[in-house]
Amino acid sequence: MEIKGSYLLPCTPQRAWEALNDPELLKSCLKGCERLEKTADDRFEGTVQARVGPVSARFNGSLTQTDVEAPHRCTMVFEGQGGVAGFAKGSADVTLDEAEGGTRLSYDADAKIGGKLAQMGARLVEGTARSMAEDFFGAFSAALAAERADTNAAASPAPEAATPANAPEVVPASSAAEAKSGPGRAWLVGLAVLAVVLIILWLA
Amino acid sequence: MYDFTYRRPADLAEARAILAGDEGAQPLSGGQTLIPVLRARLAMPAVLVDLTALDELKGIAAEGGRILIPAATTHAEVAASGTVREHCRALAALAGGIGDPQVRHRGTIGGSVANNDPAACYPSACLALDAEIRTDRRRIAAPDFFSGMFQTVLEPGEIVTAVSFPACRGAHYEKFPNPASRFALIAVFAARLAGETRLAVTGGGTGVFRWHEGERAADGNGDLSEAALDEGRFTGDLHASVEYRMHLTRVMAQRALAKIH
Amino acid sequence: MNLTASRVKFGQSVKRQEDGRFLRGKGRYVDDMILPGQLYAAFVRSPMAHARITGIDADHAASMPGVERVLTARDLVAAGLPPLPCGWAITSRDGTPMKVGVRHALALDKVRYVGEPVALVVARTQAQAKDAAEAVIVDYDDLPAMVDVLDAMAEGAGLIHDEIDANCAFDWEIGDAAATEAAFAGAAHRIALTLRNNRLVPNAIEPRAINAGWDGSSEELTVYMTHQNPIGMRMFYAAAFGLAAEHKLRMVSPDVGGGFGSKAHNYPEEVAVTFAAKLVDGPVKWTADRSEAFLTDAHGRDHLTDVELALDGQGRFLALRVDTRANVGAYLSSSGSLVPTYMYATMLSGQYAIPAIHARVRAIYSSTCPVDAYRGAGRPEAAYVIERIVDVAARELGINPAEIRRRNFIREFPYQTPVVYQYDSGDYEKSLDAALELAHYAGFAGRRAESERHGKLRGIGLAAYVEACGIGPSAKLAKLGSGAGMWESAEVRVHPIGTVEVLTGAHSHGQGHATTFAQVVSDRFGIPIENVSVIQGDTARVQAGTGTYGSRASVGMSATLRACDRIIDKGKRIAAHLMGVDYDAVEFDDGLFSSKDSNVTIAFAEMAYAAHAAASFPTDEIEPGLVATSFFDPPEFTYPAGVYVCEVEIDPDTGTVEVASFCAADDFGNVANPMIVEGQVHGGVTQGIGQALWENALYDADTGQLMSASFMDYGMPRAQGVPDYKLVFSGVPSPSNPLGMKGCGEAGAIGAPPAIINAVCNALDVRHVDMPATPEKIWRLCRQGKAG
Repeated sequence: MEIKGSYLLPCTPQRAWEALNDPELLKSCLKGCERLEKTADDRFEGTVQARVGPVSARFNGSLTQTDVEAPHRCTMVFEGQGGVAGFAKGSADVTLDEAEGGTRLSYDADAKIGGKLAQMGARLVEGTARSMAEDFFGAFSAALAAERADTNAAASPAPEAATPANAPEVVPASSAAEAKSGPGRAWLVGLAVLAVVLIILWLA
Repeated sequence: MYDFTYRRPADLAEARAILAGDEGAQPLSGGQTLIPVLRARLAMPAVLVDLTALDELKGIAAEGGRILIPAATTHAEVAASGTVREHCRALAALAGGIGDPQVRHRGTIGGSVANNDPAACYPSACLALDAEIRTDRRRIAAPDFFSGMFQTVLEPGEIVTAVSFPACRGAHYEKFPNPASRFALIAVFAARLAGETRLAVTGGGTGVFRWHEGERAADGNGDLSEAALDEGRFTGDLHASVEYRMHLTRVMAQRALAKIH
Repeated sequence: MNLTASRVKFGQSVKRQEDGRFLRGKGRYVDDMILPGQLYAAFVRSPMAHARITGIDADHAASMPGVERVLTARDLVAAGLPPLPCGWAITSRDGTPMKVGVRHALALDKVRYVGEPVALVVARTQAQAKDAAEAVIVDYDDLPAMVDVLDAMAEGAGLIHDEIDANCAFDWEIGDAAATEAAFAGAAHRIALTLRNNRLVPNAIEPRAINAGWDGSSEELTVYMTHQNPIGMRMFYAAAFGLAAEHKLRMVSPDVGGGFGSKAHNYPEEVAVTFAAKLVDGPVKWTADRSEAFLTDAHGRDHLTDVELALDGQGRFLALRVDTRANVGAYLSSSGSLVPTYMYATMLSGQYAIPAIHARVRAIYSSTCPVDAYRGAGRPEAAYVIERIVDVAARELGINPAEIRRRNFIREFPYQTPVVYQYDSGDYEKSLDAALELAHYAGFAGRRAESERHGKLRGIGLAAYVEACGIGPSAKLAKLGSGAGMWESAEVRVHPIGTVEVLTGAHSHGQGHATTFAQVVSDRFGIPIENVSVIQGDTARVQAGTGTYGSRASVGMSATLRACDRIIDKGKRIAAHLMGVDYDAVEFDDGLFSSKDSNVTIAFAEMAYAAHAAASFPTDEIEPGLVATSFFDPPEFTYPAGVYVCEVEIDPDTGTVEVASFCAADDFGNVANPMIVEGQVHGGVTQGIGQALWENALYDADTGQLMSASFMDYGMPRAQGVPDYKLVFSGVPSPSNPLGMKGCGEAGAIGAPPAIINAVCNALDVRHVDMPATPEKIWRLCRQGKAG
């Protein structure tokens, strides 16, 4: 399954990069996140109690950054185990580009989901991934916007809240064969992905 | 299924007390979604608080041009209710088309709106008819109540007690059922309220929504085929692509409108 | 007991004797049984489609509350438990035997499909077993999933079984390749088509269940198992697995809630549970949940087929060439090699005289649930191939679909096809005419015009099917590779007061044997049906038999009839003494022994008493008692056949296909109970409609996960999605058994899919649509049609 999206963040790429590597900030933006630790320069581990409707499952996940080009891009390799609920693994490319009004964060993740999540939640996978991405980036942008409002007290008008420039786009599993992203586009970055990742982990 | 404690409170006050006193307590109101989830071990509530025996949550009533459907009313009861049929036949028809007979005799309106499944039937009626969702602590207008897929503004421990609908004879629910689950692959609840058309769409994938452009087209030349439809509202799955769901939305809306004009 | 109750006849629509207790909730299924000291099993299953197992850590799980034992494949192998056998040997066209991937009851080094059992936990409660199963940690090294035959056959594809090249279990052929080639070379027309037969999940209402335990007092291993063939399973468990000696193994299949073939197989879970029960010395129960059923009950179908038909200038069939790649899943299941070969390619002649046929079948392993017999088992796949290509030929040659069939029907019986079978009897034109009349075929144009007025597209489709049932002639089956005889036994016991027990190895799991077998007895003996009990499914009572599958109840009913006749014969010998007349002068009719040479008559119950009193005949000449046994081995298969006509109405705006009408003219030979047979056709046709329109076991191509693994996503047919069926039975009695029966259980599931798809193609005016014809697929075709 491929999940893509992009968001406009109200800050510079440098600040976005830092924020994406700040476990505390990330944790506060990720609903249900019980633990998020940077266990090595390029590795995060965390636990998320994910809920969708009546379903609730605790995921333990790890995320490793590769091909890092701070503050512009990296590739995240992730893996999460949700016990009886199943597992998710995959990778995501994240880029931060300067854009009018801030920084455009784009992500392109290829995820494999297995176990009960895949077997019983097929109809909900895409919507859940999208809604979790929106929740996370909404909170993340709001946090960055609040920060800017603080430092710039009376300055420019309040930055717009997170703007989903493109709604996240998910290629459902059934058509994954033709939509698989080529290995060539290796970029990226940040931990934002972590969100996306945990999102993915989540599903259904 | 993991072990849990089953509680059957005698009245609403006791239900509130149990839910307030235990973070792991969860209301059970028919269980047509929750029980299968528990059986799959995809949730582990410590306590289930069964609301379906509470008299306070039963008894459909007409009041001042509105219909009050208490939360523990089953879909079968709504479908068979003379009061509902008289004041809003479309709502009774909607309830009569949910799932299958087994589901309709267990599932409740309170459970359905609180769960807010993105393909459930009731949320579309609530949104189109401007229903009011009543809880043990407040009254919430439907547009403020549903906040995303499986999300509502209910607070922890808050109990839906009833849903109040305006009487509306000019309404119709047109559903294209998922061939497997009978949830809405796409369904549209169309209503004429205060001289204006309302269209609420369920089954798109991200949660129920009002199709305002469709409503304007309906009140204009009546042709929905060119009305703008936000692709971001839709998701694809093994049953239907985004493109097909968007197409079905237009078809279901047009058909629903044809039945009320 | 009501001794004045109804005498019934064979052929009468007697109400089902067993339904009262089912409707009152008094059915008794395996999961209802709780044995003293009951223990429970839960499986640790692979979430991966294809992976190497690099480690299993069960230490914590083994120490959890209530846990008796955690078993892995290493325990089974160390104890010498052999792998599961595939029961039918197939030889590839190069003369090599089929390559059977080793399948242990628990996965040893690799997992090969999602849901494959990896470890087994035995605990005191079901919840404890499940808790501990969750705590078993299995480490996997992921390997690429291959769910489609084309992926598994691709150059450089990974291997499901390291020792089996190209994932090919066998490359088999049947028929005359040279004659077929020659016929194609001289043909006026050649029609080609590629089609898929979609993979299905069986979904019996009652999931698989077992409760096995060693009984210290009887020194027997007792196994309660929901199964279609408990006596056969006893032999398997004794001979193939050495779980107990056959005479120390009691196998019981009580009420069984549906099978459709999926409960005729030998599954790894049941073997593992029985092994565990012996190890822990206590009864161990396991009942599959619905998810386990979706993931691990042997699936059905899954063929990819290229078919070509050669015709002369008059639309007569000259030759048929078929190349099928059968996805057999991760392992060859019990009949996994039989279904796509002798159950399939041998039926490719259909109802038609086709001088030359050649079929090649490659059985391909993939990282999916094993595929085995499912209602029809190979015959629906064959009927789909032939009835689709015939329809395409009719369309392209401009011949009416009924006419092209009529022109090519077999008319002389017995008829030897080029692919093994010799059809014993039939009248295909009679069924065609009956079906066309039932469907008001001639009035279709008017109905189509009426649909068009409502913006709908209407199509009509025909399908003519034939199947081989009543298996079977044991010697013939042995030549084709069978390892077991497939006769059936019946023992008829007459009690002193004239009531009767029939003990048979045939096993009803919905077919109504308690009624139809009793009808044979009631009719033959002239006694009330209430006085007859049909006993099945317990090897402590019924010692011999081969089970129910493949529409073969006619074999057990024929054995019952023969046993009844042996009883009557003995009764006549006793009556001769009682009447003082010659044996040849005694007649038995309508429950009475009589003779033209005597004015004495003896009622059946009186005879029963006399036989047991043993006072009025010389017991050195005639032994007391009134019990007879028959083992009936049919001389030939039976060949049920029929013609189905279906009309569909399509909503081009949504792509919905509605089955507007469905008419079936079936030749089942003589029919035991028309009401029950109608029910069998209703069920079969409904399953066929399900396959054609909704059902699909869909694996994700990338991850190998089963996406349609619950009723939320797997489109089971519902009553509201099917029309009132119109049926007619136009029977030609079968010469292959004394009752003239042919079998009816699978016909609907065989004939319906091509009838529906032919109707859909007719409505849309397209060449082909793959099953299931889902709304979005149809909508896209409608849209293309509009655009183009």
